[in-house]
Amino acid sequence: MTVPTQKPARKLTMQQRYAALTHDLDWDPTYVAEEEIYPFTTFEGIKVHDWSKWEDPFRLTVEAYNKYQAEKDRRLYAVLDGFAQSQGQLSLTEGRYMNAMKIFLQGIPSGEYQAHRNFSHLARYFNGPGARFASLCQSMDELRHAQTEIHTLSHYNKYFGGMHDWNKMSDRVWYLSVPKSFFDDAGTAGPFEWLIAIGFSFEYLLTNLLFVPFMSGAAFNGDLPTMTFGFSAQSDESRHMTLGLEGIKFMLEQDEDNLPIVQAWLDKWFWRGYRLIALVAGMMDYMLPKRVMSWKEAFELYFEEQMLNGLFKDLEYYGIKPPRHVQWAIDEKEILSHQVYWVLYQFSHAAAFTTTIPNEEDQAWLESAYPETWPVFKSVVWDKAQRVVDSGGRYFNPGLPQLCQICQIPMGFTEPGNPLVQCQRHSIYEGERYDFCSDGCQWIFDREPEKYVQAWLPVHQIYQGNCGGPTLPDVAVWYGLEPGDAGEYIGSMDHQDWLKWHASSIKEG
Amino acid sequence: MQFELRTQVIEPRRKTFSNLVRRYGDRPASRYEEGSVDIQATENFHYRPLWAPDKELYDPTYTAFRLTDPYSFLDPRQLYYAPYVQSRAASGEAFSKSLDYVDSRGLLTKLPDGWAAIVGELLLPLRHYEAGAELISIEGSRFAYGTTIDQACTYAAFDRIGNAQSLSRVGIVFNDGHAHALAEAKEKWLDDPALQGLRRLIEELLIERDYAKELIALDLCDQLLYAVLYTHLDEAALMGGAGAYSLIAQHFSTWFLDQRRWIDQLVKVWFADPEFAETNKAAFNDVLDRRWSQIVEAVTDYSAALDSRVDTGAVAATSANAAAVAARLGELGLTVPGGK
Ligand SMILES: [Fe+2]
Ligand SMILES: [Fe+2]
Repeated sequence: MTVPTQKPARKLTMQQRYAALTHDLDWDPTYVAEEEIYPFTTFEGIKVHDWSKWEDPFRLTVEAYNKYQAEKDRRLYAVLDGFAQSQGQLSLTEGRYMNAMKIFLQGIPSGEYQAHRNFSHLARYFNGPGARFASLCQSMDELRHAQTEIHTLSHYNKYFGGMHDWNKMSDRVWYLSVPKSFFDDAGTAGPFEWLIAIGFSFEYLLTNLLFVPFMSGAAFNGDLPTMTFGFSAQSDESRHMTLGLEGIKFMLEQDEDNLPIVQAWLDKWFWRGYRLIALVAGMMDYMLPKRVMSWKEAFELYFEEQMLNGLFKDLEYYGIKPPRHVQWAIDEKEILSHQVYWVLYQFSHAAAFTTTIPNEEDQAWLESAYPETWPVFKSVVWDKAQRVVDSGGRYFNPGLPQLCQICQIPMGFTEPGNPLVQCQRHSIYEGERYDFCSDGCQWIFDREPEKYVQAWLPVHQIYQGNCGGPTLPDVAVWYGLEPGDAGEYIGSMDHQDWLKWHASSIKEG
Repeated sequence: MQFELRTQVIEPRRKTFSNLVRRYGDRPASRYEEGSVDIQATENFHYRPLWAPDKELYDPTYTAFRLTDPYSFLDPRQLYYAPYVQSRAASGEAFSKSLDYVDSRGLLTKLPDGWAAIVGELLLPLRHYEAGAELISIEGSRFAYGTTIDQACTYAAFDRIGNAQSLSRVGIVFNDGHAHALAEAKEKWLDDPALQGLRRLIEELLIERDYAKELIALDLCDQLLYAVLYTHLDEAALMGGAGAYSLIAQHFSTWFLDQRRWIDQLVKVWFADPEFAETNKAAFNDVLDRRWSQIVEAVTDYSAALDSRVDTGAVAATSANAAAVAARLGELGLTVPGGK
């Protein structure tokens, strides 16, 4: 055996080495035409002249990826196991906190999963190997998120209502058609639109508004598993943000004809995403027993300051303007969460979560967070709801709401500047009337009516008899609702269990 | 309020999610099951894909292979994301150790001439084969119906791009830190007649638009290729003074054993389906009809090239492997062209 001689310095730079391991694996086909292998990258009108100009948003080899991710998951699952063993759910702030997590489980993992499948679509069908590999990594990450979220909430499912049939519910229940139609919309679009819709608009523009409330809400309310999941997903998220940013820059740099297409997608997907996270607004201001910040503050910090005053200043260089209808969102920031939660409250007899009137402590917080709008809402809405409770009842809306054809949220948003007048827009397409909650949703419809007339609107479907039967109990069975899932929180199974668990622990203590 | 945690037993309301109770009864579920079964949406899709207006977003008819219940396929390895990356982190570390060992002793740069030719001209070009295999596998990740099949395809895709990267790293070590061995290998992949059967196969599969047919054809080719290149040559390398080759090859044959487990199970489930067993056999026969001779020819050409560098009887081995694979397929009730 020879003694190893001193090795000469490595001849490849890190960048060359990375290229050798990724981009260089690609070749130009000769037995079939390239357009046949990648048939979906032309119909959207995006012009790409040189895929080699794609700059890797991150440089991760498969080996490094597996190593980092394995370590992260080892730590995350150790926390989940420990929490389950120690009955950690007992140290949540309150049982009603779980309602936020029910919405999370019903709405988010199915979205993560859709992201996984559709990033696989990009990983297969983008012509450029750099874009494909970055998409492949994100596809893997999104599968991770779906599964780690399910595993994180699996323990709670054993002790609380509303979570047990999340996958069936996300295909069927009325408010879950909001996230489902959002991801269906993006997934049925072409690969470039997906990248703007999810990679950029969702993962970059709005991701902090979605995740920070859930994760810091978890931290403030004793939910260690969800908090740990959130931190663990964060390093994936930062890769996703750089992919989204590279995606938009790449399209804009390839051809100036791409600008109007990208701008229109950005306009559409900002509004689509913003309406989707309206559910988060209602959740964070009303469903967390302990709040971190209000929706308004989060919107100002994560959107107005970081995106409008930060990112969009950089994108000006490419001719990109802030999203159309952004002013409408700004104008809504003081009323959005009130309106959304009031919808959830009225219809929670047909939902897989429970709601309740904000208690005194909640009301004091709402008053301080929304000094202008809370008192109005309180008198218009909650004082009445309280009177019903005081007389031994509970107000549920006996009808079925009308849904916006685009965002599918019940029509309950108001005219800009006039929070007491409901906003309603409509368009006529092929002789049929379609209704919208806002200018933003109407604008989206008018661009692609042939797509949006296809929407599976839960309320229409109930009327057409496609949801288990004509009465609410029939629909509830078809939704998979069980006793304890829906309705008022006070006196619910979750509430009673919570009191029982803590009564016995106080007794023993 | 603070609560002291007691040893009190709180009776859980349920053991797992309702879909799993409906399927498997009221028992605790594994993390594989909770994270893999019934995850994909199956109904009430909102819009048709712009790029496939005749299909739903997730649609069983993206392939000719069908299952009455997509979740009759469960990965026998029970791999969900966390154990997947953990197992691959471990095998990746093992591969790196082998490669470092080989590198620190210069074993790949000192291979006997014939073995050096095999590595440089025939092994390294297969990093492109692996990259193509990744594209085929990731198509399943998008188009498979049901999460369990999607998931197995996804990991296979990640494995294969990993294999491509591992082979590239072998090339860099082989070339003592440079990349021109990789550049030369790429030229071989593009031009060397011995590799054109394989390249043509991959390119033609990539335009099939039926992920499962692509996957099966690829797997048939893998079975012959891995057998000769990593198993057959492994033994010959040990005898022929090319221990470094053997060290590297073992990682690939170990991976392929793992890959076989889920694909064999998938085929088994296809052929046992109460409704679609015959449909699936017909689809498999269609693949055999159109691809089997092409595959045998491609791997035979490749094996002949191996024999021309070091005569290990690779062609004979491939022919024996082909006969063995054909016999196994025959036992499954399939018709292999050539009458085997
Ligand atoms: Fe995610
Ligand atoms: Fe809307």
